[in-house]
Amino acid sequence: MPLHDVGYRAWTGRRLGSAATVAVIAWTGIKLAWTSRWLRRLVFFAWSPALVFATSFFAFEQAIDEGRLANMREAARAGRNLDGVGMLGTVLADTLSGQRPAAIAGRAARGGKADPQAEIAVTRRIVWSRLLLAFMRVPQAVLLAVVIGLVAPTLVSRDLRAKAWLVYFTRPVGRLEYLLGKATILAALVSAITVLPALILWFLGVLVSPSVWVAVDTWDLPLKAVAASLALAVPTVLLALAYSSLTAESRIASFAWFATWAACWIAHSSLATADAIAAVRAADAGAAPVVADRERLERRPGSWGEDPFADIDETPPATARQLPDAQVAVGASRRFRWLAKAAGIDTSIDRWAWLSPYHALGVVQAWIFGMETRPQAVLPSLVSLVVISAVSIAVLLNRIDAPTRA
Amino acid sequence: MGDAIRGGPTGDATDRAALPVRLEGVVKRYGGRTVLDGVSLEVAPGITGLVGPNGAGKSTLVRAILGLVRLAAGSVRVFGVDPAREPRRVRSLLGVVPEDECSVPGLSGVEMVRYAARLCGLPGMEALRRAHEVLDWCDAGQERYRPVETLSVGTRQKVSFAAAIVHDPRLVILDEPTNGLDPLERRAMLGRLVTLARDHGKTVFVSTHVLPDVQSICERVIVLARGRVRLSGSIAELTRPAHPSHRLEGDGPLDELVRLLAARGLPARLEPRSGAAGTAVLLDPPGPERLGLVWSAAREAGVVVRSLEPAQRPFEEVFMGALREAERADAPEREVRDAAP
Repeated sequence: MPLHDVGYRAWTGRRLGSAATVAVIAWTGIKLAWTSRWLRRLVFFAWSPALVFATSFFAFEQAIDEGRLANMREAARAGRNLDGVGMLGTVLADTLSGQRPAAIAGRAARGGKADPQAEIAVTRRIVWSRLLLAFMRVPQAVLLAVVIGLVAPTLVSRDLRAKAWLVYFTRPVGRLEYLLGKATILAALVSAITVLPALILWFLGVLVSPSVWVAVDTWDLPLKAVAASLALAVPTVLLALAYSSLTAESRIASFAWFATWAACWIAHSSLATADAIAAVRAADAGAAPVVADRERLERRPGSWGEDPFADIDETPPATARQLPDAQVAVGASRRFRWLAKAAGIDTSIDRWAWLSPYHALGVVQAWIFGMETRPQAVLPSLVSLVVISAVSIAVLLNRIDAPTRA
Repeated sequence: MGDAIRGGPTGDATDRAALPVRLEGVVKRYGGRTVLDGVSLEVAPGITGLVGPNGAGKSTLVRAILGLVRLAAGSVRVFGVDPAREPRRVRSLLGVVPEDECSVPGLSGVEMVRYAARLCGLPGMEALRRAHEVLDWCDAGQERYRPVETLSVGTRQKVSFAAAIVHDPRLVILDEPTNGLDPLERRAMLGRLVTLARDHGKTVFVSTHVLPDVQSICERVIVLARGRVRLSGSIAELTRPAHPSHRLEGDGPLDELVRLLAARGLPARLEPRSGAAGTAVLLDPPGPERLGLVWSAAREAGVVVRSLEPAQRPFEEVFMGALREAERADAPEREVRDAAP
């Protein structure tokens, strides 16, 4: 018997409530997940894109500080790469090349006096929004799928396999608390690679800007980053947990998770490409040359990671000379077409986005950042994600305590 | 619907409402199979054993008490609370040691117990303190710091027990608590259950196949077979023979003793020899005034008396009898069911 054995004693303290139970499940799950060396590597790696985007923030603010915004506008109109990073150039090319922000354009139309500071503030808001959106949509959304695929499949399936559900459901833990606890584990990891670096990017932008009042001008951007992160987290986390709850073999859940992303991506790309080919053929069949060329530019499917303009002769057609300056700028940003899409610059409507969780999430994030407001573009993706979330919740509530009913 | 045999003591309505566990006419079906068939029972404070063959419905009964299964009929009350309506409240009053090994992979023994405490609402530091305290009481030693999945079966059982009692529950339900324990550990585990019940006022409900365990620690026992309660009551009541008798254990010519006793009007019979000592069973209780006759007969026969006490039926015999009775009682019903197209 140990010297310090005081025997069994009664305990009469105050018991904590459901929120504490959720926190305990989440915290323990995070600690256990963090023991995976691969997860630690992946989370650290997931921060590397933030460094690249931080460079873009810095370059933009440096240009403002040195009064080079006007020069940048000219460079953007000429289609030159602006900062060597490319990313900022693409964003700026669109923002500065003749498409004046509505607030400034409205004032100019009313004959008001130009206010350079106001123009800078509005331009900054758009540039920052687009950079943050691109950051959330491209590197972080892909890394999020990998991180969730690494952690989520084991969360419920391992409990089923080790009969750990008895640990929970023989204690004052309900299905909802269990589900929230497990979801919080993933939400914390998702936040660690999406919202946290996005907030730090914004904070860094404020620090390198000429005045701290920039924080007031852009106060809504951190909130939008949080909302975009939530939009990323909710459907993906629920779907991953639902897969995990359907099997005691986490390998099967992992496979289902990655297969879903891959299959939906392929389906989306196939349909979007088919649409693009049909559009080009229709245009070649006899539409007005200028309109056809413009549509060929605007109606590209914009598949990320590939150049949708690859099949177009880069030599400008004779009719291209008739295109307005804005289109020249768009042409200048072709080399970063994937970024143009991600940053909400490409205005074509991706009508198959709802089919792929990745693309649907991108559209909804663009909506949150105010880059996409057309209902016909947003609604299908939004509905698709809501349906995924609802079905996942139904599966989870049915499956989580299924062993207790066996 | 099965016969409802009430187990444990019965009292007035107020007493019964406060009973740790009360089931009335509980029916549970899985598909077409009836697992609990009108089970009514009461578990009073103290240690109550639940015994029955495999498939008797013991685990389902425990799940019904926890509010984990939806009943087709009947009601369950735990300290007067309906687990189907208020499962969280009921489970906070309970500690459960399941038969199946269950753990959260990756946690050490002490982390597992602490986790269990925290799930029951104990604050962080208090949970850790209690976890160590209870593991000390369970004699878990330094093994508590190893991951649960690497622990021996016996230590895992201790961790599971510690996790069940760390939050100071009023009712402890144990499913096969001595599985995988060596004889010393088994005895220690049974001792802890007795301590919980006797010194801390806990109600202990033990479901087991090990009949000697039941006989050694349980004050009351419930025999469940084919989804019905077949027998229930205190161990003393159930093992009392139909005709009162005394049992004498001793060494020497016991057959001579039996002959002498019969000659003096105390009919006796010799039981088969077990071990070094023989056993003579006196059919009629000798009574204080006739005990002298027994001693003198033993002296005359040259028998060294080891013990003389009221005889009891072995609990195993009681249990097997209950199962045979259940088989007989259900036979007509089974025939009807088998004959049905």
